[in-house]
Amino acid sequence: MKTIRLMIMVALLAPAALAQAPLGKPSPAEQAIAWAQAGIKQDASRVQPYNDLALGYIRRARETSDVRYYEQAEAAIQKARKIDPDNFETSKAEVMLLLGRKEFATALDSARALNKKMPDDVLVYGLVADADIELGNYKEAEWAAQWMLDMRPGNVPGLLRGGRLRVLFGDAEGAMDFYNEAYQKTPPVETESQAWILTQMAALQESAGNIDAAEKLVRSALDKFPNYYLAVEAEAQVKIDENKPAEAVQLLRERNGQFPTLASKYALAKAMESAGMLEQADGAYAAFESAARAQIGAADNANLELVHYYLGRGNNPGEAMRIAKLEAARRQDAATLDAHAWSLYANAWYVEAQAEMAKALAVGVRDAAFFYHAGAIAARGHDAAAAARFLNEALQLNPPAEIAGPARAELQKLQAASAASPALTSNAEQMDAAGMATP
Amino acid sequence: MIARLAITAMVFSLVASAGSLRAQTPAQQNSTDQAIQSLELHVKMYPQDFAGYDGLGAAFLQKGRETGDADYYERAKTALAKSLDLDSSDPAAYSAMTHMAVACMAEHRFRDALAWAQRALALGSGDPSPWAIAGDALADMGEYDAAAAAYANLENPLASEEEQRGLSFERESRLSSLELVAGHTQKALDLMRSAVHTAIQTRMSSENIAWSEYQLGEELFQAGDYAAAEKADRAALEEYPSYYRALGGLAKALAAQGRLDEAAEHYRKAIAVVPFPEYAAALGDVDSKLGRTEQAKKEYELVGFIGRLSEINQEIHNRDLAYFYADHDIKLDQALLLARKELEVRRDIYTWDVLAWALYKNNQLQEAADAIAHALQPGSADALIFFHAGMIQERLGNASMAKTFLQRALDLSPQFNVRHAESARAALAGLQALEAQSASAAPGEVSHAR
Repeated sequence: MKTIRLMIMVALLAPAALAQAPLGKPSPAEQAIAWAQAGIKQDASRVQPYNDLALGYIRRARETSDVRYYEQAEAAIQKARKIDPDNFETSKAEVMLLLGRKEFATALDSARALNKKMPDDVLVYGLVADADIELGNYKEAEWAAQWMLDMRPGNVPGLLRGGRLRVLFGDAEGAMDFYNEAYQKTPPVETESQAWILTQMAALQESAGNIDAAEKLVRSALDKFPNYYLAVEAEAQVKIDENKPAEAVQLLRERNGQFPTLASKYALAKAMESAGMLEQADGAYAAFESAARAQIGAADNANLELVHYYLGRGNNPGEAMRIAKLEAARRQDAATLDAHAWSLYANAWYVEAQAEMAKALAVGVRDAAFFYHAGAIAARGHDAAAAARFLNEALQLNPPAEIAGPARAELQKLQAASAASPALTSNAEQMDAAGMATP
Repeated sequence: MIARLAITAMVFSLVASAGSLRAQTPAQQNSTDQAIQSLELHVKMYPQDFAGYDGLGAAFLQKGRETGDADYYERAKTALAKSLDLDSSDPAAYSAMTHMAVACMAEHRFRDALAWAQRALALGSGDPSPWAIAGDALADMGEYDAAAAAYANLENPLASEEEQRGLSFERESRLSSLELVAGHTQKALDLMRSAVHTAIQTRMSSENIAWSEYQLGEELFQAGDYAAAEKADRAALEEYPSYYRALGGLAKALAAQGRLDEAAEHYRKAIAVVPFPEYAAALGDVDSKLGRTEQAKKEYELVGFIGRLSEINQEIHNRDLAYFYADHDIKLDQALLLARKELEVRRDIYTWDVLAWALYKNNQLQEAADAIAHALQPGSADALIFFHAGMIQERLGNASMAKTFLQRALDLSPQFNVRHAESARAALAGLQALEAQSASAAPGEVSHAR
């Protein structure tokens, strides 16, 4: 996976055609909000300014992670509905709000209904794709994204969905191409959009173990949109990979100074644990646990983080499995399936874990943590060859990843067992023959 | 100030190229009327068709361009707003947003034009044409580097060959104007010639071809090649008869060649199509030169009248009126006010130039020198700006600088303006005489001192 082309970055990091918005200047979402408000002031009987206002607030929520903007978006949608109950654009804004609030199943139903009503609206396919991706309906998502690109070749919303799907399908280079093209086509004044794309690219590079590249992309994202919380979170992940957990703690503390999410609180607690700040980590975990548990039944929850917490420092595998099952009943995306499989494994349901893991990997996703989980699960399922293959895959894919240590240890255990037990010799031979011995 | 290379004029070429409107925006006036009628019927029958309203808005823009009647821009905006009510978040909405930007450019609301173009781009349609309007707005705001960067985005490797040629036309014609502003006249001409070639090769609408030929004529005029400018304007008129821009351009080229009667005739024809104040002013100057004082007076009266016809006309013609008042030494305080007002929204070299000229006429010489420095800053090779710079320096007592600027104006384009070319020659002659006088007086003084 080292083959992701770094030359793409040269273009990315070149100066923008139009200067970035300086600090203190309204953000793109704030400008959109101001624009919509001016439109309402000019003519409060028109529906479109209210739709624009709703979209502006939804964008602002993405810019800041402050979910209170969704309430304002909802209010704008209600006003739009009063003016024109059947307005199609209002319906689209409504679906975007549902997606923002992570009500994916409802969003999918609404988006499909809109798609039926207006089958040539490119963005509606995007909304269908978004909901499908979140729910794990990858084939349907691929169909919708492909429609977007077929209907309007090279359109940015289509490229972004395509990029995301290519990541999930394990085509990192293809995803990078799409993201790069989308980035080039995004006007420089759209600073948050550019920063968002750069952050996605950084995450992709990070997952491939290209830490320097990831760091450069993150820095570039922060140049475009200073203090962007998603980029700061990505930078913290890079610091963890660089074995600088104290710096990650510092970054995440700053990030959590404003509108922390449950996920960012969990990331901070984890970074503290990695930095050996165990007392503080326990305090942070406890705060996270209490807040996350209150949201277990909600659409916008941190159930996957909660599962991983209970499988780690929280040391409550039973509860982890219960929550993972709950979440897997809601959505079947790769991350949820992986968490479910890992929780089953922790509770010694190895066969079920293996089946669930196979489902997670079936889409083609290439993630070091997933491969490590798959390897460990396969090892307990007495499939040493598969275990070795997965563990080696994890180590080759992302050597500096957090799971590298445990993966290496698991692989050594596997080799030791293979050497000690003649019954496993055939597996060990298979491992050697495949060139998959411990690096 | 007839037809300085106005970026604003360019944006209309995009009316025909944004979205799927190429077939819906006919070049000829009658077919534009037909298109409007047909699209009005279409949106009545299909009131949920956002593309229909977008097409109607584009047709109104075209009509506004053809008639110079600013009311059409209002009607265009109403239709485009309706289109955006129906669809504003899908990438397809970029077309209506781009047309909205064009409407704002026509009304000289450059910031709004830029904002609409940026909104269109933010939809990520994959069509780079909104970059053209973004660049136009930036150029009118005097942000030439940013404009050039915006124009550089007018490429789309995924587009068909025909679309790529269309983008190449948009890019080259605009970059040509920027090169001219930077004083790279030959490069500007090469780019414009290539744009004309592309327009003809790709069989663009007659009006688009005519516009590019007219624009080439303007550049040739600036380069002092009046015969070639005449040829380009005549080609434009052959392509699109009664094209008022080409009629005005041709009149100017004829006047520069001393064919004043013919020039007057063509100015009258241009005014009959679109009564722009700059044409009336130029006709007045030509008639005045021909000794038709009464006729010229009437035409000068017409200038102010047209400029005050409507609120939007006042906005659009601020600069032309400011030049007119300053050139003719009337309403000089108003000239300065209009120039300052224009500078609030438009900071290109021509607005700095008119401000400098109005300041000069109001005897605010140091401020005039500062303003003309802005006009000269990009390196522009524009005879009228050189003339203004020369006159300002002359009044400031900087004889050497004044002579240089006046000489450059006349070297570049010996008949750059019916009214001012002679003034430039006279001022230069005066300065040279003074120099000769002081040169001959100087030894005598020395001798006397001895």
